[in-house]
Amino acid sequence: MIKQDLFMHLSADNNFSVLNRIINILNRRRVRIRTLAAQEHPDDFRKGSVSMVIHTTTEMADKVKLQLEKLIEVDQVTYQVQPVSEPAEKEKIIYSL
Amino acid sequence: MKADQHTAEVCSGAEILLRSLVAEKVDVLFGYPGGAIMPVYDALYDYADRLNHILVRHEQGAIHAAQGYARASGRVGVALATSGPGATNLVTGLADALIDSTPVVCITGQVFAHLLGTDAFQEIDVVNTTIPVTKWNIQVTEAKDIAPAVAKAFYIARTGRPGPVLIDITKNAQNEKIEFSEYVPCTNIRTYRPKPELSLTQIKAAAELINQSNRPYILAGQGILLSGASDLLVAFSGKTGIPVACTLLGLSGFPVTHPNYAGFLGMHGNYAANININECDVLIAIGMRFDDRVTGNVNKFARQAKVIHIDIDKAEINKNIRADIAVHADAAEALTELMGLCETRNHRSWMESFARLNDVEQQRVSIHSFLREGELTMAEVIDELASQADPLTIITTDVGQHQMVTSRYYPYRTPRTLITSGGAGTMGFALPAAIGAKLGMPDRQVIAVIGDGGFQMTMQEMGVIMQYGIPVKVLVLNNSFLGMVRQWQQLFHDKRYSFTEMSNPDFVAIAGAYGIAAAKLERRENLKEAISALLNSSSSYFLEVRVGKEENVFPMIPAGAGVSDMLLEAPRTEYPESVNR
Ligand SMILES: Cc1ncc(C[n+]2csc(CCOP(=O)(O)OP(=O)(O)O)c2C)c(N)n1
Repeated sequence: MIKQDLFMHLSADNNFSVLNRIINILNRRRVRIRTLAAQEHPDDFRKGSVSMVIHTTTEMADKVKLQLEKLIEVDQVTYQVQPVSEPAEKEKIIYSL
Repeated sequence: MKADQHTAEVCSGAEILLRSLVAEKVDVLFGYPGGAIMPVYDALYDYADRLNHILVRHEQGAIHAAQGYARASGRVGVALATSGPGATNLVTGLADALIDSTPVVCITGQVFAHLLGTDAFQEIDVVNTTIPVTKWNIQVTEAKDIAPAVAKAFYIARTGRPGPVLIDITKNAQNEKIEFSEYVPCTNIRTYRPKPELSLTQIKAAAELINQSNRPYILAGQGILLSGASDLLVAFSGKTGIPVACTLLGLSGFPVTHPNYAGFLGMHGNYAANININECDVLIAIGMRFDDRVTGNVNKFARQAKVIHIDIDKAEINKNIRADIAVHADAAEALTELMGLCETRNHRSWMESFARLNDVEQQRVSIHSFLREGELTMAEVIDELASQADPLTIITTDVGQHQMVTSRYYPYRTPRTLITSGGAGTMGFALPAAIGAKLGMPDRQVIAVIGDGGFQMTMQEMGVIMQYGIPVKVLVLNNSFLGMVRQWQQLFHDKRYSFTEMSNPDFVAIAGAYGIAAAKLERRENLKEAISALLNSSSSYFLEVRVGKEENVFPMIPAGAGVSDMLLEAPRTEYPESVNR
């Protein structure tokens, strides 16, 4: 399986430690994080979301997705193959979320 | 559930914590005080009639005791520690509880909120330190958040795949006085779904596969015990005629005396149980996580078989071994449904293949442990223990050769009668775990089986046995070596015994100094009597048995090898490169 850029989106509760928990899982699996943006929900500060571009195989992404969903605060994780190849374009997509 | 008083009352955060614990039906706490948790200890002074606080001798002892309590009783174990080093001393136990799915709640004191992040005395970032070793953790800085945090902690610890939770409470929150009226237990968390919905489609597919199978094989893990599914598994195996093997943590989930019991899985497990993984046509893994000590080399594991994996933890499915049919479910629920759909069968010739391989193990391995000449063997001691102990006896073990021998030769017949450190392999676990188990199940005989190395890691907890008069029995199998490491050095490192030999103190004198009746056994002819004295003592008892110094545990799957490559004895030739040393 080849590694590729994958676009991962997480919705979660927004609290002090949630981002660390998410990063820990990716670090432990040695998944490279190319970009990461976290944001509070505009209408409810108790919720938040994280958007990332990770560089890994889809097999690893499947496993990591389930491990992330296991985190108590994480609601849902989805990922898709990043269709845009230009890094600047990718960032635009992330930050426009 | 109401708090002690139904009307609002002004309470300190510390008292709210204790009221919350009482509301959660906590009866025992294992802890150690210090500056940042002093308000809680002060409040505990008035709760001695409701909360039995056990003063351990090291915080690692507190959490292992809480684990032993939880695993023996099925209830949540609770440990208490101060900030900084008190909290970090819990880390090993948290990691152990996480990997072994043990429901514990740890409460740590923390410096005043205004000092957080200032490197204050005994300030350690406990939440970040313990994120990787807890199912969940939280820092509380205001008294009003204490009761909801406790409620959430207990709910998370005990539901789904159980695990450890830590609540870090700043000192100001413990001191702060607020109005408190009612403890509200947690029954739901928006983002946490501990009870998966059983997919009947998957269950039907699994049943179909099982009904078509000629050589089905169940691998039972701790999930059976955690979901209380032992009787169901016995009934299911009885109906379908399917042999059942147990992982280390699954032991006692299926009685070893059952005709369909296929053995103990893993690196030092039974020969038949391991070899037949590569002979079955359908592998049904229930409440187990395909740990590498069970699979060996995954590329040589059950390649011929269709795999049905039933687990409550979705992240375990397809993590190590790909499942053809994944059933994300509680083991008891899945077995109940399967029971109705699976046909009554018997697999006589398949079962006979286990019997044949068991004979091979008996002739090539076990026989050597029971020659009853020369030095005493660990197996002889455990066999004697087994012949005298009643089936309800709870055994805790430490980590090493004695652990594997106790798992191989002790006949577990009753659920939750083996408490051992599996996934983390934590030396020092057995003694405090036995203390916790005894407090959780006071009517049961509890015996800690420990090596001379592991005993010295937490032997200070003998002070707890002494102070509280806890009638725990301790059996140290002394080979004057870190036996398991020495075995690897012998087999894989050309017998270069690098720092594994131990000069030990006079253990009997140490036990005596703690006021514990103690004896040392060196001669085979006194074995029966010595074990009888251990079991029949109405108070705590310590027995040291001198066993062979260079005994090895076989069979063995060398690290990196496949389950079919299980060795019955030490090879005379070099190991191939594929063996990971
Ligand atoms: C805390 C910890 N440190 C190191 C190890 C590595 N280790 C595994 S088994 C073992 C030897 C155990 O020796 P002993 O307690 O005497 O038991 P024996 O193997 O002789 O039965 C060691 C050092 C471990 N499992 N845990």
